Amino acid sequence: MTIKLTRRGFIKASALTAGAMAVPAFAAERPIRIGWLSSLTGPLSSAAIAENHGVQFAVNQINAAGGVGGRKLDLLTRDTQGDPTKAVNFAQQLAFSEKVDFVIGPVNSGESLATVPILAHANIPNIIIGTVDKLTNPAKYPLAFRAINTNTQWIEGTNHYTLDVLKKTKIAIIGDTTGYGTSTVDSAKRLLSKQGVTPVYTTLVKPNQTDLSDEMNKAQSAGANVLMPWSAATGLLARILNARGNMGWDIPIVGHPALMGLDIQHLLNKPSYWDNTYAIGYKCTTFDKNGNLPAGTQRLMKAIRPKLKGGKIDFTFWWVALGYDTVQIIKHAVEKAGSTDAGKIKTGLENTSDLKEVYAAPHGYTWTPHDHNGFPTSDLAMDVADTFKEGSFQRAPR
Amino acid sequence: MPLLTVIVSGLAIGAVYAATALAFNAMFSTSKVLSVATGHISMLGGVFGAYFIASLGLPSIVGFVATLVIGVLFGLATEVVAIRRVLNRSDQHLWLLSTLAIAIMVQQSIGLWWGTEPRPFPRLFPQPFGAGVLDQKYWLPIIAVGVMVLALELFYRKTLFGKLFIAVSEDLFAARARGIPVHRVRAFSYALAGVIGAMAGFAAGQLTFAYFALGLTLTLNGFIAVAVGGLGSNRGAVVGGAALGLLSAFASYFVGGQYQNTIAVGLLMLVLLIKPEGLFGAKTVRAV
Repeated sequence: MTIKLTRRGFIKASALTAGAMAVPAFAAERPIRIGWLSSLTGPLSSAAIAENHGVQFAVNQINAAGGVGGRKLDLLTRDTQGDPTKAVNFAQQLAFSEKVDFVIGPVNSGESLATVPILAHANIPNIIIGTVDKLTNPAKYPLAFRAINTNTQWIEGTNHYTLDVLKKTKIAIIGDTTGYGTSTVDSAKRLLSKQGVTPVYTTLVKPNQTDLSDEMNKAQSAGANVLMPWSAATGLLARILNARGNMGWDIPIVGHPALMGLDIQHLLNKPSYWDNTYAIGYKCTTFDKNGNLPAGTQRLMKAIRPKLKGGKIDFTFWWVALGYDTVQIIKHAVEKAGSTDAGKIKTGLENTSDLKEVYAAPHGYTWTPHDHNGFPTSDLAMDVADTFKEGSFQRAPR
Repeated sequence: MPLLTVIVSGLAIGAVYAATALAFNAMFSTSKVLSVATGHISMLGGVFGAYFIASLGLPSIVGFVATLVIGVLFGLATEVVAIRRVLNRSDQHLWLLSTLAIAIMVQQSIGLWWGTEPRPFPRLFPQPFGAGVLDQKYWLPIIAVGVMVLALELFYRKTLFGKLFIAVSEDLFAARARGIPVHRVRAFSYALAGVIGAMAGFAAGQLTFAYFALGLTLTLNGFIAVAVGGLGSNRGAVVGGAALGLLSAFASYFVGGQYQNTIAVGLLMLVLLIKPEGLFGAKTVRAV
């Protein structure tokens, strides 16, 4: 038996042979090392724990499917305990000792403010999941790309709902005295003034202030017809709701997503104190008029549920979706860049538009050389706070 | 009416600071130690009170007694683990580190077990919400501190053990020379501080929620109260706590919460500058 080898056949055979040889060589490359700075214990750990479900699940899913271009993902998790000092130490360790290819996090903006310059200096792509606006700056931090929305997007969404849907203009703003609360209150006032609205009452209170009756009385005396709390502190938000309920003051409350956190429910004097409360949320975890969630969210829920204790989703699911997306963004970036070279990753992400994942849906992420904030405002939604079901919410009346 | 709310809520949180200051005094009198874990006793009072009553479903009175037992155990553990050996082996202020270590350990442990979000403290007496300044969440800590001060006065003045306490407090070496078991008295003082702190945390649970990270705030504010009132003076502790609570409430009401801490620490600085021994503290006289 003779084999007739044509020139075309030879080229094909050579290509196949080269390909077959190349795959094991590519697979033999070192894994893609991802540092994950997460405040798994300490204050504000609820969000981090939920995000961690998403991150871990995405890494396992991608590795089970063969990795990215044959390279497995190697996740190095560090618990920052919500402490910026620990976050800085871990960021340095991940960057300079572990020599990771990417860093996700930290979870809290206060920690990120400290770590972003370090990771920029170390030339490591950083997927940002803090909302404070100044965490991204393509000139100062060329490798920092944000997956979550910005704080301004939350405020704009809240202002829009308050002014244009509820038609309320006598706004009382209560923020907490943390860096986040203080800067958010300033931004909210500035953005409202652009629309010709001056809040009738503004105050800052300590996040662990034990009673809000005084502040609520002052807001009422100032003639407020809507209340806008800017704080992520569950206890403070619950005290605002309790004070409103105890006063019998039926004024809408519109604001931070933490207003719909399940932890609040247990701190309320009565369940009805949660009525008439709206929180800025996400389309990915908002039921449509038929009671359905977006297909991507449904798929992720179905896949991740068996991994959860008792199969119950008893936390806000968009945190999970965000964690899941951060790993998917890295996968997309490596595939687009064809390597983990930081410069190529930067170019790849800056030329990404409408990357539809679970958290950013239906419109998806878009980053450009001038804007490293990828989450589109159109994927935000205003939700009814007390409608928690399976980590998701009913859409607020429009 | 709004000012009445400010006063009552200020007095209520001031009562918790005062109770922390009383616990500081109890421990300081026998060991000359200002334990960093003092506020953590109240944190435990709130968390375990909520656990016994809301989670285990025990009657309030049983939950209260069980919470006091937890306070006593934590007080004794602090004395055994962080104080006894440190004082026996060193004259340096290493107790600062050892009590800080026990404070961090207990806070982290509670955070892991109980969770890091605040959880509700059950209603102790049937009362509708919306009672305003008459709500039990304001009055319980104030009444609790009143009871504590009265009980401590009776204890010091009317009981033999109370007199031993005063003897150890005034001159440790003389007390030891007269055969007083000073180590046992010191351990008892930590158990007593445990009762005071746990009772305060339990009484104020509805005000503070059952929250794992409450300890350090209470330690700091309790220390300000004790420094303002005068270290060692229970009357001073109550006045200092009430003053701090009221000042914080007025500061928040009139100028905003962002100045609350500055004003509280400013009060401490002012008193220390004018009257370093505190409002009711005894002047230290050094024999030459």
